[in-house]
Amino acid sequence: MTDERVWGSRKIWAARLIVLAVFFVFWEWAAHSKLIDPILIGKPTGIVQYLWQEVLVTQSLLNDFYWSMGGTMIAFVLGSVAGVLVGMLFVTSPSTEAVFNPIFTALNAMPRIALAPLFIIWFGLGLGSKVAVGFSLTFFIVLSSTVAGGRGVNPDHITLARTLGASESQIFRKFVLPSAVPVIFNGLRLGLVFALLGVIGAEIFASEHGLGQTLSVLAASFKTNGVFGIIFLLSMIGVGISWGMSSLENRLLRWR
Amino acid sequence: MNVAMNPTQTRASAGTVTKPAPGSIIFDKVSVVFEPAKLTAVSEFSLNIAPGEFVSFVGPSGCGKTTLLNFAAGLLPSGARRGTLLVNGKPPVTGSHDLAYMLARDALAPWRTALGNAELGTEVRGVPAEKRRARVLDLLEKVGLKGFENAYPKALSQGMRQRVALARTFSLDSPILLMDEPFGALDAQTKLQLEDVLLSLWQRERRTVLFITHDLSEAVSMSDRVVVMSSRPGRIIADVPITLGRPRSVRALQKEAHYHELYSQVWSKLEEGLSQ
Repeated sequence: MTDERVWGSRKIWAARLIVLAVFFVFWEWAAHSKLIDPILIGKPTGIVQYLWQEVLVTQSLLNDFYWSMGGTMIAFVLGSVAGVLVGMLFVTSPSTEAVFNPIFTALNAMPRIALAPLFIIWFGLGLGSKVAVGFSLTFFIVLSSTVAGGRGVNPDHITLARTLGASESQIFRKFVLPSAVPVIFNGLRLGLVFALLGVIGAEIFASEHGLGQTLSVLAASFKTNGVFGIIFLLSMIGVGISWGMSSLENRLLRWR
Repeated sequence: MNVAMNPTQTRASAGTVTKPAPGSIIFDKVSVVFEPAKLTAVSEFSLNIAPGEFVSFVGPSGCGKTTLLNFAAGLLPSGARRGTLLVNGKPPVTGSHDLAYMLARDALAPWRTALGNAELGTEVRGVPAEKRRARVLDLLEKVGLKGFENAYPKALSQGMRQRVALARTFSLDSPILLMDEPFGALDAQTKLQLEDVLLSLWQRERRTVLFITHDLSEAVSMSDRVVVMSSRPGRIIADVPITLGRPRSVRALQKEAHYHELYSQVWSKLEEGLSQ
């Protein structure tokens, strides 16, 4: 399995750190020497200072972090459960899918962030409107992966099941569902990232709490270091989410 | 008689002990016509298969061998079926517990271990967990997979996967086994091994086997009778009794003169059919 053209993981990590170090040193130097105005690009040391202050000293960002994460998790859970259930309904009843498929495709084509102002009018400035935007993104992603997974069942398995005399529910539980799980998982991973994206996006529009709300306040007052600080934080959260989902997947789908 | 009658069979089988061994298949003027395509796959096919017989169908591609198997398994649309086919004395029904079907591809579920896959058939047919577990573990040992019970299919070779499928098929109580080129995708060495595994499993229980193959040597070495079919629409050209002793070893047969005589006899029949 080892390919001699690929470096060992230690060497790769070292190279990765060097690339990042060069990038941040150059950034710091460009800002420090006013090559580019620090108002526009901030400064790595300023960003670290901001995060240190707000996360560890005053801990003011933690409250926002909990609001954003709470909204993301609620949107993700509701959106995935609804997506898997509707997807399974589509798989087991092709007529239902035929009726709803074009309607859902049109709904999914709407730019959800553009709907955020409407959701804020409907559900208020609190968590409700954030969950609504996150849900509207997650639902369709999980739905389409569930349908794709359910359709991808091996025809040999169906023939085998029929000759064994399996009932419709046995075919579903023992063949269709397990073979759909890996594809559904891909949808879930993407759905979680999109739930975060929807919640943060809605917070940027108008909110009482959350990282998105803080971000827009900082941007409006040209606190570029703070903006970058939150963006890095969000990107770290996204990486964490993907990593967490992947390790869960590897644990649950050892057979692959 | 150690015929495949088993008290665990879930359906009413109380009175069957006095009847002759179950497992006959009777084709009486069976034709298969797919109307939309106006395609006659099989025409006027008549054949009696006695309980416990091992019968192979050989013939060119597309001669309707698999169609006949699908007819017996109840997989054909009712509009395509003509004539009378009796499986264990009854018309074919999809999912009948009278038969076990083994496909050309192993059809293993990748999310189940070898043990889980071998158990799948009995599980679907409602055999109690402990009973099926014991039977499947025994079969996995017999097909040479002891120690691989917990391996997932991705970790198994083609030959091992087909061994699991054999265990899955033989774990079922059915008196009739339908096998559609089960070893078609294997290399020659593995094929010989698995043919012997199949014969040893069959020898213990003597269930009726309807075996489809392209491989004449496979048909001759394993069967009691080899049915040679013409190209489409499939008809019977010859029904050759294989007068070799039992129990057999496929590998030992390769050196036996009588085996080669029978082989060339079947071969010439098949050639006749192709030239018609």
